[in-house]
Amino acid sequence: MVAVTGAVILYPVVRFLRPRPATTSGAMEKKAPFSLKELKVDAEGKWPSPFDFGGKPCLVIRTPDGTVRAFNAICTHLDCTVGFRPEESDIFCPCHNGVYDLSGRVVSGPPPRALEEYKVDLRGPKREEIVVSRTS
Amino acid sequence: MSPAPANPLPPDAPLRSGVVAYLRERLGLDSVEALAEKKHVPVHRETIFYYLGGMALFLFGIQIATGILLSLYYKPSPDQAFESVRAIMTEIDFGWLMRSIHSWSANLIIGVLFLHLLTTYMMRAYRGPREFTWITGCILLGIFMAFGFSGYLLPWNELAFSATRVGTEIVGVVPWIGDELLLLARGGENVTGDTLARFYALHVVILPIVTFGLLGIHLFLVQKHGMSVPDRVVRRQGSFEAVPNMRFIPDFLLRDMVGWFVALGFLAVLGALFPWELGEKANPFGSTPEGIKPEWYFLFMFQLLKLIPGHVLGLEGKMLGVLACGAAGLVVLLVPFLDRGETPGRARMVFNLLAAAAVTFFIAMTAWGFFDKLQFQLALGGLLFAGVLALSVAALERGAPLRRLVILLSVLSSLVCVGMLAWGLRG
Repeated sequence: MVAVTGAVILYPVVRFLRPRPATTSGAMEKKAPFSLKELKVDAEGKWPSPFDFGGKPCLVIRTPDGTVRAFNAICTHLDCTVGFRPEESDIFCPCHNGVYDLSGRVVSGPPPRALEEYKVDLRGPKREEIVVSRTS
Repeated sequence: MSPAPANPLPPDAPLRSGVVAYLRERLGLDSVEALAEKKHVPVHRETIFYYLGGMALFLFGIQIATGILLSLYYKPSPDQAFESVRAIMTEIDFGWLMRSIHSWSANLIIGVLFLHLLTTYMMRAYRGPREFTWITGCILLGIFMAFGFSGYLLPWNELAFSATRVGTEIVGVVPWIGDELLLLARGGENVTGDTLARFYALHVVILPIVTFGLLGIHLFLVQKHGMSVPDRVVRRQGSFEAVPNMRFIPDFLLRDMVGWFVALGFLAVLGALFPWELGEKANPFGSTPEGIKPEWYFLFMFQLLKLIPGHVLGLEGKMLGVLACGAAGLVVLLVPFLDRGETPGRARMVFNLLAAAAVTFFIAMTAWGFFDKLQFQLALGGLLFAGVLALSVAALERGAPLRRLVILLSVLSSLVCVGMLAWGLRG
């Protein structure tokens, strides 16, 4: 009797505490809020900030040979948001000093896995628009 | 017809004593008085450590008072949290003082609790029948760290946002139930407004209620079992009864209050000279700014997580770090059941050694996390040297346990210094 009463009270409470399901998942495509021309260090010395891509920050970088790449900017170690360091030519997480190369692979520090890479398409008449997509 | 009062007042009694007698009868003040009369505090070399619990209690009172005041203006939503704290700091009269005192006191309380834990440990006051006093105390320390962690997010600034992401991700590392815990802590997959609402509820409702309950048990047990006296003091005096003591009210309480008064002044000075920073508003999608650090009492764990590589022996490094910290916490919690020896001897040596190693590790990792490499070496060397020097001077005329601790700390700090030097030269 006690167990049944307890379960009847607890079940809705536990269900209540469980958050709503994530709003977005699966395949999606999004245009970056900056153009290819703007993909460079600005006057303050900052690289374009990651943008919201399905609830996760998306970092767009440009390798020295001009290739544009996009990554899920969440560090695989403990969830900080990584940033691109053009001078060092690497992707860096300042929380625990994790370093990734420009393909998103771990170079040094504690991250256990590579960054998730997204597909990049250049569209528009001058191929200036950066469109990031993921398949699933 | 109602029965007549037990002690009818004489018609010519002065008003004051009349009121006192009236309240005494109705509120049962006799038993409170008897309790206060009965309570005594032993007087010996380590009596000063008895003040730490009272100091923590006083700082908790400060937290309640300033916390209530801050809650009158604070708005727990991502759109308004940062702006409301900024308004508290810049627009509300003395808002800067209230917030700064709240933040400083939060840090001091953790420091005092660490010392309270360490001194209780060194005096071996955790042994029977005080096991549950120790356990409730340890849980309270954990709760106050949770207070610190949940309160840290509330201003919704960049630092807080990153710290919360890392801190909640650490919860997610726990084997088997990590994912569920992460969802429960964040209120979703990411740190969002839902997280802020949960942390606010935790900070101002859930944790205070739990604290009041546990603190009640902790204080009741302290009353019930009285103050623990170190074995050495009892041996020297011949028996526990022979140890000199003072009355709790008013002698000990007045001394307590001197400390509280000094603490209040210290907080006001800290708040006025070093107002707590607000920083930049959190940008959930921006890159984490460089130089990010948690509060000092989480720095040792932060540094540990920096040092452990991605994979160790087939396990994820971060899981190993989190499990190690959890295991260390469990050992601290279970100390009363591990050390049951009545007489000094090898067991005690081992426990002192472990404590010295743990404290050295904590200080070294905290300093390492706080300072950059070269600065760190200089700071750590200076800190350890100054600490050992201070302890040595203080311990010159002291008894065995403290002296042994000093010797151990000296040896360990020397080893750390030599190691750091070698590491620095290599770099």
